[in-house]
Amino acid sequence: MSLIERYIYEVGKHLPRKNRADIQEELRSALSDALDDRGGEGASQEEIRQLLQSFGPPKTVAASYFPEGQYLIGPVLYPLFRMVVGIAVAAVIGAQLLAWGVGVILAEAPINPLESALGLLNSIPVALGWVVIVFAILERYGVRPELDDEPWDPEQLPQISEEEPVKRGERIAGMVVSTVILAILVAFPDKIGFVSYPGGQFFANPVIAQYLGWISFSLLAGIGLDVYLLWQGEWTTTSRILKLAANLLSIVVLALLVQGHHAWLAAHGAGGFLSAVEQFSVDLDGGVQMIGMQAFRLAFVVALVVTSIDTVVMLVRQVMAGLRKSTMGAAKV
Amino acid sequence: MQTQEFDELYGKVAQELRRGILVLATLSQLKEAKYGYALISSLAEHGLEIEQGTLYPLLRRLESQELLQSEWNVDGSRPRRYYLISPTGLEMLGALTAEWRNLTTVMDRLLEISSTEGESHESH
Repeated sequence: MSLIERYIYEVGKHLPRKNRADIQEELRSALSDALDDRGGEGASQEEIRQLLQSFGPPKTVAASYFPEGQYLIGPVLYPLFRMVVGIAVAAVIGAQLLAWGVGVILAEAPINPLESALGLLNSIPVALGWVVIVFAILERYGVRPELDDEPWDPEQLPQISEEEPVKRGERIAGMVVSTVILAILVAFPDKIGFVSYPGGQFFANPVIAQYLGWISFSLLAGIGLDVYLLWQGEWTTTSRILKLAANLLSIVVLALLVQGHHAWLAAHGAGGFLSAVEQFSVDLDGGVQMIGMQAFRLAFVVALVVTSIDTVVMLVRQVMAGLRKSTMGAAKV
Repeated sequence: MQTQEFDELYGKVAQELRRGILVLATLSQLKEAKYGYALISSLAEHGLEIEQGTLYPLLRRLESQELLQSEWNVDGSRPRRYYLISPTGLEMLGALTAEWRNLTTVMDRLLEISSTEGESHESH
């Protein structure tokens, strides 16, 4: 088959189906005209090659028959698409969290957090897929959102908020972690503890079981606050005060937990890590339990310190912001 | 800037500049029906080189915008698609021609000012 026919065939592959045959016919006629200038039938293979080279790569030539470009979801629809994706993802996560919550409260079937997380991992791409399909169809049939052609008044532009925006990623991450912990705590209250290795014997942590209600309450308060912050989108005085209250609650609960572990360890005759190791050599199981409780205590101490620092930083920033506001106010007057 | 870099950039910018006038140039030559290759030759004769790969899609676009009409003609040595300016196209040609004259006047003035400014800078 001649080089020209191969070229026309290749361009045709990338052309809009509607006009494909017609455009190919015109190309054939145009290339023949151009070839006539180069000797017509007698043109050498090299001359044909140069002609096609000057015409351009098949894909580029075909693409220039789409003056507005080719999009799955075009630039006009894209902002709307992004918005809908955000809503869809939020709705899927929200529904999943709600399902967890209801499951935890009813506690009819044991909840497997891993399974639920995997479910979420599945349902988000499915939701996104449907959004893409719907938008691709809208794009294909040229449905366009109404552009803001109507007259607008610059005076109506929204005020720039002086409040600090909420970092969404941080909030969502916190929410997910809290929810998972809460789900584990509520679903398996008797499975919180540690497993000796080697040996595989399980020891429940009696202190966590004792304060389960407090821990759950504190976690729920945190999740509720995160939901509120995500909904508000920016920090306000109210949300700062609420956040402070939630932090204080966490500090109290963590302090109770540290104290509880401390008391348990003292009651079982261990002051420090070294004596736990000492006991380890005497009584293997008791030693493992002792080290496990030490580890729990250490974890709660770390959490307590982190939360306390976070709270202090928040307080300081709040005070600074208050000062800045009052001086700005004075300057304006 | 490296010469090669400059040449590449020049290619892009110059192409953008020329792209805008192609519609006007094409419309101006289609008061008589012509097929694509004849149009390219006619434009080239007057000094405007245009690539075939650019012209054919442009003709299609102008037709879809109802500035051109077209039909296949099988009288010649081979079937050819002939393009002719439409009544709307004629109207557009008039408007664009006025705009072009206006633009060239403005641009001449602007370029003249900048070139005299350049000279006065050099003389200082």
